[in-house]
Amino acid sequence: MNTSKENLDETPFQTAGPFLHIGCMPNAIKIKKLYQNDLGEKPFKNKNENELITIEGSVFDGNGIALDDVMLETWQCDEKGEFKEDSGFARFIPNNLTKKFVLKTVKPGTFKDFDGKIHSPHISLSISSRGLNMTLNTRIYFEGDELKNDPLLSIINNSNVNSLIAKKIKKGSYLFNILLQGEKETIFLDI
Amino acid sequence: MNVKSLIRRNYNKQPKVDFPNYKSSIFRAPKNKKISFSSSDSEILGPIFNKSIIGELDNNLTLNFSKNNNSPLGHKIIVYGTVSDQFTNPIEGALIEIWQANSAGKYLHDNDKNSAPIDPNFAGCGRCLTTSTGYYEFLTIQPGPYPYPNRGIEWRPMHIHFSVFGKSFGQRLITQMYFEGDPLLKNCPMVNSIADEKAKKSLIGALDTSRSNTQNLLAYKFNIVLRGIKQTYFENRREGL
Ligand SMILES: [Fe+3]
Repeated sequence: MNTSKENLDETPFQTAGPFLHIGCMPNAIKIKKLYQNDLGEKPFKNKNENELITIEGSVFDGNGIALDDVMLETWQCDEKGEFKEDSGFARFIPNNLTKKFVLKTVKPGTFKDFDGKIHSPHISLSISSRGLNMTLNTRIYFEGDELKNDPLLSIINNSNVNSLIAKKIKKGSYLFNILLQGEKETIFLDI
Repeated sequence: MNVKSLIRRNYNKQPKVDFPNYKSSIFRAPKNKKISFSSSDSEILGPIFNKSIIGELDNNLTLNFSKNNNSPLGHKIIVYGTVSDQFTNPIEGALIEIWQANSAGKYLHDNDKNSAPIDPNFAGCGRCLTTSTGYYEFLTIQPGPYPYPNRGIEWRPMHIHFSVFGKSFGQRLITQMYFEGDPLLKNCPMVNSIADEKAKKSLIGALDTSRSNTQNLLAYKFNIVLRGIKQTYFENRREGL
């Protein structure tokens, strides 16, 4: 952290390619035993199943095909709105048969940011895959929460703003589909 | 009060996401403009990874998958460098995960349809955390170039994939390191999706002969720069305004 002038350029991104599992989730493919666990298997290790919500969805390309070679990563605060360095991170891929991803996590709380603004409950999400020269970023908000004063949602003047809001299916269960292209293209963020 | 923000990303020095020469991008690259907004805790904070996750051989790809101490095929290389932010501050504890093809240009992955052989002693994955000076190092094998379907069959230059976590979710980087002198670099659409020549060159690991000559292996240096975080103080600002 610094207030002086920046003098280096950020290293450019390149696509993660189709084989990112080797480096990021070796246990999810056939490379077992090298690492004890894949990182981000559970975002909150000490929580019981009944304290968790479920967010399900698929990532669709411009042809409407649900992809299974994408990697998703999420980062969030806990139910009290507190960010903890050692929890709140998850990494997952869609199931290769159903093409659906499932994230089980705690429902994040609201928090007040460095600038004093109150943020509605949300999860930060990044998507990396073959065909994406840069990782994409977006946020997952929740249907049923107070959303109209959120500092991000309130500046988006676009009917696709709903793409950032997970639909409530039943208590504790949400649907969040991601559309990479098309009329209903998900809103992506320059974070 | 104290307001933190990530330095705005300079997209002139980043690859174009919508870049049809890279065929897979055609139906995957979003078409709409990204929404910019001011950074919050969600972007400035991030997961920090503990030393306890890293095994002794995790940064040694020549041994971490070898059977009965057999070496993988190919010549050994060291890939090393530093992770810093845009203000040149070293980042300690950055997590680097790498993956690569073996010396024949084959990945240990079911979806790799290249007919080259797998190497039973090489998985092609490694990871480490940077030291207090931001330093990292991997001992591995020179990856081979490989063919892939794009505009017909094209060849990827030799490369190692890098995934990096600094201290904040907004610093997250996924990239590839290339090798100095590789003739395949100039026609690679993924490399050429970066228009800026200096930015493109920053992805090419530089051959370090001083180190190569003393350790019987080739050494390549690749420094990584993650986004900087600005801290601004507003003396007369009340919280919440
Ligand atoms: Fe590759």
